[in-house]
Order: sequence, then C-alpha cells, then structure tokens
Amino acid sequence: MLEIKDLHAKIAEDGTEILKGITLTVPKGEVHAIMGPNGSGKSTLAYVLAGRSDYEVTSGDILWNGESILEMSPDERAGKGVFLAFQYPMEIPGVSTMTFLRTSVNATRKKRGQKEYSTPEFMKVARAAALHLGVKDDMLKRALNVGFSGGEKKRMEVLQMALLEPTLCVLDETDSGLDIDAIRIVSEGANKLRGPDKAMLVITHYQRLLNYITPDKVHVLAHGRIQKTGGKELALELEKTGYAEFTGKAA
Amino acid sequence: MTVAIIKTKAEQGIVADFAAHAQRLPGDAATGKTRTEAMAAFARAGLPHRRVEAWKYTDLRVALKAFAPIATGDQAQVSAADVDEALGSLAAIDADRLVFVNGCYRRELSTPKPQVNLFTLGEVLRSGGALPALKTDEAVVSLNGALATDGAVIDIAEGEKLAKPILVIAIAAGASAQLTTLRHAIKLGTGATATVIEAHVTLTGAAASQSNSVLEISAGDAAGLTHVLVGLEGNAATHIETIAATLGARTTLNSFQLTASTGLARNQMFTRFAGEHAKLDISGLMLGRGRDHIDTTLVIDHAVPHCESRELFKAVLDDTARAVFQGKVIVRPDAQKTDGKQMAKALMLSEGCEFDSKPELEIYADDVVCGHGATVAEIDPAMMFYLRSRGIPKEEARVMLIESFVGEALEKIENEKLREVLSEVTRIWLSARQA
Repeated sequence: MLEIKDLHAKIAEDGTEILKGITLTVPKGEVHAIMGPNGSGKSTLAYVLAGRSDYEVTSGDILWNGESILEMSPDERAGKGVFLAFQYPMEIPGVSTMTFLRTSVNATRKKRGQKEYSTPEFMKVARAAALHLGVKDDMLKRALNVGFSGGEKKRMEVLQMALLEPTLCVLDETDSGLDIDAIRIVSEGANKLRGPDKAMLVITHYQRLLNYITPDKVHVLAHGRIQKTGGKELALELEKTGYAEFTGKAA
Repeated sequence: MTVAIIKTKAEQGIVADFAAHAQRLPGDAATGKTRTEAMAAFARAGLPHRRVEAWKYTDLRVALKAFAPIATGDQAQVSAADVDEALGSLAAIDADRLVFVNGCYRRELSTPKPQVNLFTLGEVLRSGGALPALKTDEAVVSLNGALATDGAVIDIAEGEKLAKPILVIAIAAGASAQLTTLRHAIKLGTGATATVIEAHVTLTGAAASQSNSVLEISAGDAAGLTHVLVGLEGNAATHIETIAATLGARTTLNSFQLTASTGLARNQMFTRFAGEHAKLDISGLMLGRGRDHIDTTLVIDHAVPHCESRELFKAVLDDTARAVFQGKVIVRPDAQKTDGKQMAKALMLSEGCEFDSKPELEIYADDVVCGHGATVAEIDPAMMFYLRSRGIPKEEARVMLIESFVGEALEKIENEKLREVLSEVTRIWLSARQA
C-alpha cells in the first residue's frame, strides 16, 4: 500500500513550494489516476516518489508497504519496487539498450536478494519481453533512447517496467506525444502489469489514457493539493468541464 | 634589444649530458655532425615556454625540472611475457610487433613480417646510413634529432594492402628514469594501406621514463593509413610526441590518440594536405586524474583545395588533472572547398580540474566550410537520476555515463577488435578511480 501523508515539497534550488500537503492512499491491487492542469504539481509528485534530488521534502511522509522511503536513494527505492515511467525518457548515447537493461535488472535483482542473470539468460528474458511490446531486436542494440521516436521511447519505458518487476508503478504522462495506436500498445503493456500485489499511479492531463487503463479512483491535483477524489466517472466529467473549477482557487 | 634568457637547470643539464655521451649514440661521423647541429639548435631555442603561443598551456621550462640521463642503448632483461604484462589489454591486439626497450629495438621480442620493407633506424645508422634531417623550429624536434637512438621505419610499397596491423611498442624498463628518443617513419606508396599502432608503456616495477618521440608519416596518392597512438606510461612519466604527416591526393588518414594517466603528455601533430580530395579524421581521448597534464595540439594545413578534416577530442578529468586541446586549421588562399570541423569536449569529475581549449582558424580562401566547438560539462544530474531510478547504484551509473561520454570518440575507430581493446583500456582506467 502506498501512503502519502501531508506531503510538502519545494524546488531545492530556489525554494518554490510545489506540493502543499498531499494526502493519498493507493491500496495494493488498485490503480489510481492523478489528473490536473499544467503546473499543478503532477510531475513533481512523480519525481518526489522516485527520489529526485532537485526537490526537497519539507514535511510529511511517503510510506510504501508501511516503510518510509523518503531517506532512500532512487536506486534503493527501485530495489523496493518503485518504478517511474518518465514523461521524457533520457537519451544515453554510447550505452547500448541491452547493456543498460541488463545492468539495471541485475542491480535491482541483487538488491532484492535474487540471483543475477547471466548475459545469455538475460538476452532471452529481454527478447521475450520486447516481443510482447513490439520492441524490435534492432532497438535493443542501439544506444538507449537515442534516435527513438516518442512512441518507441514510451514502449522502452514499459519494457523496463516489465523487466524490473516493480510493485509500485508511477506513470508520468505516458500518453503525451503518442498517437492512438501507440497509446493502445503502451496501455496494454501497462495493464499486463496490474496485479493483486501491485499499486499503480497514473498521472495524466487528459482523460483519454484512462479509456485504456481503467482507474479505481481519480484524484484531481491543483495548486499542490488534492482538490477532489472520485471514481472513474470523475475523469469523464473533467473532460467535459475542464479544470476551470480548480484553477480558479488560487491560494 | 634582446633579453638573454637564463638557461634552466634542465637545459644546461641536457647539453652537458649530450657532450659527455654523444659518442655512444649510433651513427657515423656525418650523423654525429647532424646531432651536434641539432643539439645546438635546441640549446639556442631552449625548452618551449608559455610565451611561445603554441606552448601557452604547457610550459616545459616550468614543468621539466630536470632531464633524466640520456638512454644510449642498454639490454635490460625483458621477456615476451613482461611485454604482454606491460601492454595489459593492448596485448590482445593481433599484430606484428616491433618492440623498443629503453629506446632500443629488440629483435627477440619482435615479430616483423618478412615481406614488408620494415627496418629500424638503429640498423640504418649502424650500417652507415644517415639520420634524416628535420627542418623544424620546434625545439623538441631538434632535441629528438640530437638524441634519436632508434625507431621503426615502415615502408609500404605501392599498391600493397597490409592485412595485419603493425604494433610499435615503446617500453620503459629501467630501474631509474631515462630520456628515450625514438624516431619513427611510415611511408605509404600510391594505393597502399596499413594500420600502425604505437603503444607507449612502462614495465611493471620499472621507473617511468621521459620520452620524446617523432613520427613522420608520408603517404602517396590514394593511400589509407589507420594510426593509433596509446600512451599509458604512468603518472610519473613525461611524454612528448611530434607527428608530422603529409598526405597525397585522395589519401585518408584516420588517427586515434588515447592518453591515460600520464604525468605530463604533449602530443602534437602537424598534417599537411599535399594533394586534393584527401581526408584526415583524427580523434582521441585524454583521461587524466591526480596531477596529470595532457596536451593535444593539432595543426592542419589545408594547402590544396577539396580536402576534408575532422577533429574530435574528449577529455575526462578528475582531481586536479588538466587537459589542453589546441586545434589550428590553416586554409591557404587556393584551398577552396575545404571542409574542416573541430570539436573538443571535456567532462569534469571534480572541481579542481581544468580544461583549456583553443581553436585557431586561419582562413585565406572564401569558399570553405570550417567549424569548431568546445564544451565543458559535469555529469548530467538528470541522466544520473534516470539511471539510478532504474536501480543502478551511484558509482555504476557514474561509470556508465562516463562511458557514454567517451563512446562518441571510441566509435570513430572502425576496426571493431581495436575499438573493443581501447574501450577496455578506458574501462580499466575508469574503474581504477575507487581504488
């Protein structure tokens, strides 16, 4: 279970407060959506969950399975099952995708006390997972995300998510920049990772992604706080009315 | 008014050492005279210092407190296994070897190819041949002319395509430091192709040397040379290398220069395009930590039209290490359609390191494309976060990002096996950081 308790966070460099008291619980087996206008703090929340040091948590706590993860480094959090699918995945020239995936998966397995894969073992596992997501062999040989299209980058994120076997998945604007076909492929990949042991947080500006990944609950984030919580129908409602109701409430 | 510059201890010392030991250097009376003249030229010029523009960042008067005794040829006990150990990862290169120990050719450690016209300067001099005179105003080249003991003379005949690379190995093996001076020459006839790798290493347990090498490359028309220079002599070593290349029409020279952990290194290369439609692609890595100082200075003379030059150098610097990149491109008035690009990038791993980059474009023709660029950066925290969010621990992520940075230069090496070996050299250098 993910418990976010009265979380306040600011940008470390200039002290701007972005998250102003977020409280949220996602039980295992559930998928929650976070929707909100631009600048509401959605991506900040995603980064803070994954442990990005550009943000400083000033008060509150984040518990994953009852344990506070605030003091953990990003790689320790990954070991605990936290995974963030980036809105803008980084391009790493000169590092082949396959090498990156193997290093990442083995480092995570090591942290979890699982046996590391040998190179041939891992190639088999990675190729099988890649096949499911329509990731071509050629992409695995190329430098990570370099020259990949927007859709290819997002599929690569979902492939990483499948290989790292996370228990808390945070999807940050996974639909941004994707056409309908790409959204469908990526969503199918994400849906396969739903399970009774897993919690998922889907962050999105638009409702359309939620046609493919049906949430159990929808939260509206604006001005750094959860303004409203409802069922999946809340997303449809927002699609009609927009965020005007929430953006007006400037603090 | 001329101001008399007081000679440094090092300058006085080398002149005296030469006077005492010149008769032990190989060659006949005529060569002896050439040497004496070269030494006189060096003594007049003195060591280059910061007021000489080309040596602005590498002041040898300050850096070289003293010269080590001149290597005049000894037969230090060195086995083939010792050579392999000194080479480390480079030993895996499948090549014909020419091994020079403390500045002397060692036949028993070498595996020259019989069909190639391959001999050594030492043999030439001992059989009464002349020491090729070098017209130069470079003091270090004059010094080389005075003290050269040996070197590889590689002459590839017209049309010959050498399948196996030639690995020229210079090993420092003395119990105490020596000043070793090699003079190599590579000559390619029309249409000839070859790969020559120059490795400078220090035997395990031996004292690092001072070395002052010269390599002359002269390539005819439609020839192809892949040249690799690897300097791994150690933090106590001083390495000065001057390469002078002349390229004929439609000839391609690919040069890759890797210098890692060398106390003081200056690699200077002068390339002149003598024929049209020739290409020079030169790239390399400067890997420095501790107090290493690594200087790469390139001068490319586009003397004729339609030639292409590419330069890409990357530096990875830690502690208080310093790297220098100077790239001068001269485009002569007739050299229309010249295409020249230059890029120097440094990755700074500490606050105390320094990178100096100085492009100099002298363009006298009007229909040319010439560009240069330089960047200095730290490890990108956003990339670091991305890798760590995938479970990769800090140090491993760091190494991965440094490998990513150097990868762009290593990718320039076309020979896959060679690229893999040099990647391995880089990885070993990177992983030594924690130790």
